[in-house]
Amino acid sequence: MTLQGGGTEPLGSTPPDVDRREVWLEEPLTTIDKPSVQPAEPELMVANRGATASAVAPDGDERLAYRSVFQRLFMRPEVGAIIGAVGIWTFFWAVSGTFGTVGQTFGWLDTAATLGIMAVAVSMLMIGGEFDLSSGAMTGAMGMLIIYLVKATGALGGRGFPLELAIPLSLALALGIGYLNGWMVERTGQPSFIITLGTFFALIGLKLGLAKRFVGQIQIGRTDEASDFKYFRPFFAAEWERNKHEFAQRDFWYIALVAAGVLISILAVCELWFKRRAEPKATGLVQFLVSAAVGIAAGIGLNVTDGVGANLAIGVLIALCIVVGLHGWVSWRYEPIGERGSVALDSTMIRRTVLGLALVVLGGVVAVVMDSKSTNNFVFPFTTQGVRVMLASALGVAGLTLLAMVSQAALRVNAASKFIATSALALGIAVIAATIYIASKAPKFRAALFPFLLFLAVLIFTWGMLASRFAERRAVAARADRLGNRMLALGILSVLIGLAIRMLFITKAELLAGVPPAKTSVRLLWFALFTAAMMWVLARTRFGSWTFAVGGNKEAARQVGVPAARTKTKLFMLVAFAAWFVGILVAFRINSIQANAGDGQEFLYIIAAVVGGTLLTGGYGSAFGGAIGACIMSIPLIGISSARWNTDWRFLIIGTILLLAVVSNRYLRTKAGAVRR
Amino acid sequence: MITSKKWLAFVPAMALVVASCSSSSGSGAGTTSAGGGGSVAASASSVASSAASSGSSASSAATTGASTGGTEAVSQTQAGDLTFYMITHSDDGPFWSVVKRGAEQAAKDLGVKLVWKPGNNDPQVMVKDIEAAVAAGASGIAASLPNADALVGPLKAAVAAHVPVITLNSGSKDYQAIGALTHVGQSEDVAGSGAGDRLNAAGAKKVLCAQQEQGNSGLTERCQGLEKSFKGKVVTQFVGLDADTTAQQNTINAALAADPAIDAILGVGPVVTMSALRAAKDLGRKVTIGGFDLTPELLGAIQAGDIAFTVDQQQYLQGYMPILLLYLNVTNQNTLGGGLPILTGPGFVTKDNAAEVIKLSKQGTR
Amino acid sequence: MSEHALLELDNISKYYGNIIALSGVSTSVAAGEVTCVLGDNGAGKSSLIKILAGVHQPTEGSIRMNGEEVSFASPREALDHGIATVYQDLAMVPLMSVWRNFFLGSEPTKGLGPFKFIDTAKAKQITKDELTKMGIDIRDTEQPVGTLSGGERQSVAIARAGYFGAKVLILDEPTSALGVKQSGVVLKRIVEARNNGLAVIFITHNPRHAYPVGDRFLILNRGHSMGSFAKDEIAIDDLTRLMAGGAELEALEHELQASGASSDRPLAQR
Repeated sequence: MTLQGGGTEPLGSTPPDVDRREVWLEEPLTTIDKPSVQPAEPELMVANRGATASAVAPDGDERLAYRSVFQRLFMRPEVGAIIGAVGIWTFFWAVSGTFGTVGQTFGWLDTAATLGIMAVAVSMLMIGGEFDLSSGAMTGAMGMLIIYLVKATGALGGRGFPLELAIPLSLALALGIGYLNGWMVERTGQPSFIITLGTFFALIGLKLGLAKRFVGQIQIGRTDEASDFKYFRPFFAAEWERNKHEFAQRDFWYIALVAAGVLISILAVCELWFKRRAEPKATGLVQFLVSAAVGIAAGIGLNVTDGVGANLAIGVLIALCIVVGLHGWVSWRYEPIGERGSVALDSTMIRRTVLGLALVVLGGVVAVVMDSKSTNNFVFPFTTQGVRVMLASALGVAGLTLLAMVSQAALRVNAASKFIATSALALGIAVIAATIYIASKAPKFRAALFPFLLFLAVLIFTWGMLASRFAERRAVAARADRLGNRMLALGILSVLIGLAIRMLFITKAELLAGVPPAKTSVRLLWFALFTAAMMWVLARTRFGSWTFAVGGNKEAARQVGVPAARTKTKLFMLVAFAAWFVGILVAFRINSIQANAGDGQEFLYIIAAVVGGTLLTGGYGSAFGGAIGACIMSIPLIGISSARWNTDWRFLIIGTILLLAVVSNRYLRTKAGAVRR
Repeated sequence: MITSKKWLAFVPAMALVVASCSSSSGSGAGTTSAGGGGSVAASASSVASSAASSGSSASSAATTGASTGGTEAVSQTQAGDLTFYMITHSDDGPFWSVVKRGAEQAAKDLGVKLVWKPGNNDPQVMVKDIEAAVAAGASGIAASLPNADALVGPLKAAVAAHVPVITLNSGSKDYQAIGALTHVGQSEDVAGSGAGDRLNAAGAKKVLCAQQEQGNSGLTERCQGLEKSFKGKVVTQFVGLDADTTAQQNTINAALAADPAIDAILGVGPVVTMSALRAAKDLGRKVTIGGFDLTPELLGAIQAGDIAFTVDQQQYLQGYMPILLLYLNVTNQNTLGGGLPILTGPGFVTKDNAAEVIKLSKQGTR
Repeated sequence: MSEHALLELDNISKYYGNIIALSGVSTSVAAGEVTCVLGDNGAGKSSLIKILAGVHQPTEGSIRMNGEEVSFASPREALDHGIATVYQDLAMVPLMSVWRNFFLGSEPTKGLGPFKFIDTAKAKQITKDELTKMGIDIRDTEQPVGTLSGGERQSVAIARAGYFGAKVLILDEPTSALGVKQSGVVLKRIVEARNNGLAVIFITHNPRHAYPVGDRFLILNRGHSMGSFAKDEIAIDDLTRLMAGGAELEALEHELQASGASSDRPLAQR
């Protein structure tokens, strides 16, 4: 509406956000003429020279509340993917007899490795706001290129290059293609989607054309005919055969590292969550140390003794040690809570608690009663056993969900209510653990899931108890945060090393039991290193910061002096580098590459990145998420095969995962309040 | 910022399109063949026609070929005057170059002229080539039939003009409708059954039929053929695209680990067969492995004894035989096959003949 | 023009083809002063900013800094001369944390060669200190900028410009998208920046925002300068009148009243 038109229109119909030019008419002169109306802005009156506006009290925004450790955790882009990966893994672990074995774990990790190296690079490019549809075809192209270079392909002079020359040459070419992609995108200003689609088709044509022209085959080989192949093979394709590496104390180190890692992680969460007390309480530390000693002794005892009764007694003892020990630690370092209040659950909460527990128990009853004693591998879902499992799981999950909802809601009431609600949740999990022990005959459930769930129940109970007795820190404390984060990293690393030892080495007992051979290769190491390096780059380097910036708001970034075009070009080159590396890994593994290798994989990389929490629109995401996304892609591939299901459903599962991931990532982000847009 | 990037929502959709493009284009020359074995005996070449071409030029110029329907002219026909056209959807790739060599060898052996017309998967080009060949007075036409809708008409017209026609490679379902003398090609179904017989002989009880593509009818027919002849149990599984051999290998590994009863694998393509071999080696499992098509790796593995056999389509015959049959028909009024298709496969490469086949493959005839 | 002027514009004109965006505009800004550029839409404000920020070059006229004639071929050159521009909507990357935004493009690093990395602890500390100096208490500098209010975002951008040694701070309509209270916050920052010795050029179409903070007013109308005034030379109502082209507005008010806008329903409450 225009100023002139304003006279003829009914004034009341004017929308609240009127044209900019009218703002000066719209705003009252309160800030200048009537200071009494706006006491919140007294500075404006004295805003002229001489006024000491900086002396005014800081105007903190009350909407920027302190974010607890869990809120901060849930703000990470990859957290949805981690939960998803654990869920999918557990699912296939449960339904398949072999999926959880070391061999198959190596299988899906191996599949995830090549996918993941690309997904990590593609995640970074997508954070930078661009796409590379040529990335898949490029992996195959680079593998072929290496073979061309080392092969005696007449046209290249009759003699192949040694690998020392072929590897840097192909890398240079890969980076050149990446540079070209970036250059074209920046120069033309066209969407990278279109530009790289062009590169994609060009590469496909080139691969096919060159293969037929030089070799007369759509498949070319062989890498191992290259001179000095044996020197390079360890870098790209060294293999590790588990059954050839015996380690007698493996289980000791495995358990010790995992237990220590879990403990350190819990203590880290305490450090991040609770408020330090001014004077440490020494008795608490003593309590912790004594409990830890008893707990370790009990753990050793568990190995020595046998029989259900002894195991049960020791299990109870360990649980007690966890509760008492953690309480000791927390009371040593942290401030107790002032007012705990009395239990005050409203009727809805009580109803939900009762209903939740009832559902969990009902699930247990179903599992026991409906047991058809059939020893067949249940074929999902068309047998009594299948229906039983599904029904019992559904009831259990529904019950736990209700209990979790109540304990969430109880957070807002008071400490005592929170304790009760969390204890109910722990009880629910314990009931499910007991059900599994009673109803399942599968050793993996009884020996792994049962103690795990019991441990979880004890942990949740302990956490509820501690959180209701000690005060939460509600302000940023840089030192505590740093210490907590480092402890958490150490704890997770310890658990990972423990698991790696378990996977890489074999014990005499396992050898005697005839464990099938399991093999892995150095590419897992490369995958881990590349992911870690890229995480570091994103988090700690200028280039990482610029990547987020050019994807989030290119103009703003450019305006403060970020070389946007160069950053994006480097990202394209990073993807090309990853494609080159994956191409070499494949060429060294299978010795030959066929012309369509990698074609069409680019969209799996994009899916993995998106599943890992990277925004399709750029500016947000994580390298670690890409790696986890690759695992989420590969777990069902191997899992379906392990579960002996019809593979026709494979893409349905992948599509569903993608949809779920996108929806839940979005949900988690809004829930954590990370993004307001 | 968000609204300006709305087009990004189309990316997954487009990526799908791209992927489907790539998978269909990359399916490889090794799997090009028509499926289904025609079985009904229809009236075979009842057209008693012989082409007495006078003064036709090999350079496909506009010289008219006056073909007269007279039986007595047959014996007078000079071999050197005969010009046969081979019109296929060939892309001149490794598969078709072997076919071409077969046809060239036949022409050389018989002393006839051959005109090789590769259509590069474009039916329109093939239609034009067929019409031009008839107009140029071809003594006979050997054509592949990848697209019945486009090609049946022109070939029928050729038959009506008394030019003998033989279909090759693809066209086993339609060659009778055209009135072609016969069809020379492979049936996927029969190839699969042949592999099943081999596995029976090897004593296998449960076989994994590993597919590298989903929804490819040719590959599905191979597995179905296997089910027909194999005496034990067949598990058919899609184990991942050739584009990601790592996933392929690990998926097969998982399938083997999950089912200890599997003692044989039939890979319906060369790449997936090699993946199966690596998976079995990693697991330390003794399984009989069979494959399809010839690649240097596969032949090497057969020679080393790691893979039991591979099914060969013997496409050299698909070039050689049509020329020979056309020649015999034109010069001697012979027909072969009794109206049934003539199968060039399955030929098998095993350890016994692997070395020989490797040598021949280098010469370009296998 | 004042003699201690830090930045002087002399007879600046800008033509886009045959469109005259700016014609013969002169003004100056001294360190520790706020020069407000006022004008309605299409008055030539954005052309003026773009010239000062180095995005465009003037067709005629000259820019002097500290008495020396300068020309900016790119935004980077303007930045190097100490001219920092804070655009209304392009100021920040919303999904990035406050400290990353603060240091974007000029991150403090340590380490060597390819292993150079951002000194995050230092960057966070400086960000927190600088923002506290400006009176903003951001509890957690890891907070994404997108979660800040519009006024706070502008404030962070102003603090950033100040920290990185800007001598001249150009603010493009910093208050136009903000509510009353948030505008107040931003105006407060302008005053603080000025008190810290910066020369501030504050572009706005709202005289009520300009008048309390400005020391000098340049009024543009349809590409022409309507005059450059010191604060004591002009009253706020004159500013309004000049911006709208003088007589037009009075005519409008009469027209509105005649068409039934009652006096107890002032325009401001619509």
